[in-house]
Amino acid sequence: MTALAANLAHFNATDASAPAVECRGVTYRYARAGGGIGVVDDAPALRGITLSVRVGERLGILGPNGGGKSTLVKLILGLLPCQSGELSVFGQPPHEARKKGLIGYVPQRVEAELAFPLSVRQVVAMSAQRGLMPWMHVDRTRQGAIENAIEVVGLSSVADRAIGKLSGGQLQRAMIARALAGRPRILFLDEPTVGVDVGGQQRFAELLDSLHKKLGLTIVIVSHDIRVIAAGCDRVACLSRTLHFHDTPQGLTPKVLAEVFRHDVAGIFGDVHVVAHVAGSCPPGCAIDGAIDGSVDGPHDGSTANAAASGAPPADSVAARAASLWKGEKP
Amino acid sequence: MRAIFLPGVLTGVAIAIVCSCLSVLVVLKRLSFIGQGVSHAAFGGMGVAAVIDLAIVNMGIASGLPALGQLGVVLLFCLVAALAIAGLSDRGGESADTIIGIVLVASMTLGALLLHVSFQHRGTGGPSWESILFGSLMGLAWHDTLIAGVVSLGVVATLWAVRRPLLFCAFDEQAAPAFGVSDRAMKVTLMVLLCLAIVTSMKLAGVVLATAILVLPGATALRLSDRFNVVLTISVLVGVLGVLGGLVMSFEMDWPPGPGIVAMQTMIYAVARAFNVISGVRRRRMVSAA
Repeated sequence: MTALAANLAHFNATDASAPAVECRGVTYRYARAGGGIGVVDDAPALRGITLSVRVGERLGILGPNGGGKSTLVKLILGLLPCQSGELSVFGQPPHEARKKGLIGYVPQRVEAELAFPLSVRQVVAMSAQRGLMPWMHVDRTRQGAIENAIEVVGLSSVADRAIGKLSGGQLQRAMIARALAGRPRILFLDEPTVGVDVGGQQRFAELLDSLHKKLGLTIVIVSHDIRVIAAGCDRVACLSRTLHFHDTPQGLTPKVLAEVFRHDVAGIFGDVHVVAHVAGSCPPGCAIDGAIDGSVDGPHDGSTANAAASGAPPADSVAARAASLWKGEKP
Repeated sequence: MRAIFLPGVLTGVAIAIVCSCLSVLVVLKRLSFIGQGVSHAAFGGMGVAAVIDLAIVNMGIASGLPALGQLGVVLLFCLVAALAIAGLSDRGGESADTIIGIVLVASMTLGALLLHVSFQHRGTGGPSWESILFGSLMGLAWHDTLIAGVVSLGVVATLWAVRRPLLFCAFDEQAAPAFGVSDRAMKVTLMVLLCLAIVTSMKLAGVVLATAILVLPGATALRLSDRFNVVLTISVLVGVLGVLGGLVMSFEMDWPPGPGIVAMQTMIYAVARAFNVISGVRRRRMVSAA
């Protein structure tokens, strides 16, 4: 077992009962641009968010652009102050968890200065050097974490290459390695497949699956792409300023997606029956009828169980359709 | 070279070391124009310092504002200008490019007006326009060398102390806060160090060309290596060589030191660039031959 995996196994075993992330009634409002001190925007970016992330779980946060996904991530990272409600990461305030290096973060877009004359190893090492005094060298434990992180993402052969000479997929892996080298207990990936082609998305999904299996890492993926979420997550939180759904991907229905995305999502699947089913005018004997739980009203939390939590999703469920689209199959 | 120029030479070496260390970050973070804005703001600060000096002399204190006091006034002015550039750009409405342009010309205008007033009342004896704009070797005394040495030591020590978070923030400003690095603290630190370097360079290189010493060494080094520690080392070597060679050239040609230093560093940059092109051509020929 690598040093990273051993480190995580130790933490996960001792804190198995405590959630990785706990949000209760979290509301956040941005100050209005150009306003004075204390002037806040009328519409909150997030309202009454209650969700939890279990240790070792893969959670997908799904929602439209402007739905508050990045705001929630920033709150959990401790980059924004929690204005109301309760928020904790491994039982600690978010900013404390961040300072202790419990959280790894892979940003949406790599806006790093790739012209810097730094190697992949030097970039990955940046997160492992947290807390080191200026006169201290990188010790063996940290060095081991750096090398393990590079190996786990499959960049050992290019570890000494200049960061600016990597391909897009390699750069993404380098950023993941950088997050891992800090030995976090939870990894956040913000829109990881934006601008990535289908082949790259598949390789990314395989990498995440490998990270989860090898390291037992708690992973949170933020995305507006249902295919990313449906194929690779244990639970999904649908967010559009408020929480509309928080359960297994198999429970995602067109109605929930319509609530979240505020438009008819049947176009994603190109299936007239889906439209008819949502409208309640589905003809009798429809294949979708009975396979999808359509009686969803209002927001859900983790206690609502409306779909099987294990095994393959029903063949005609939204999650199954999304997963098949992910694989490139025609609807 | 006469011993009388020794303070200038030693001051030049101290300035070269500190500016060359910062130069790599200035080039990679595209801060050259901000550096230009700050150096021109220093001109405004010099005008303010000259008027304060005049006021002190008129109060009966013949020595006027001491050298350290003048440096302090100029530094404060530069810091205010740098923070104004950063603050006004962040709040939107104008681009950083526009704000720098405005601060640059406003400071130059203020400096020109105040220095004109100072010259009118003081007459001869103070620094000339040429020495203010392009530097002066004769105008440097041992206390200037001491100040430059202390500033150089302080800046290099600070850079060493914050090298890890500073490099992280410089490389990836967006993600740094998520990893516990305060991007705001690092930006302010870098801006303060830049202001210190520019203000200390004023007397030797002059207002117009002080920024060049902050740009050319790093730009040259980045042409010659893609490894950070090597780039830093080359930058310092180029900086020191450029200053020493430039001072010798200025002495021999009877030029102000600023143009001499910049001419030397520009020639070194041109050679590095030519080497880059030739080695690139050779590499392509080898690849196509294989």
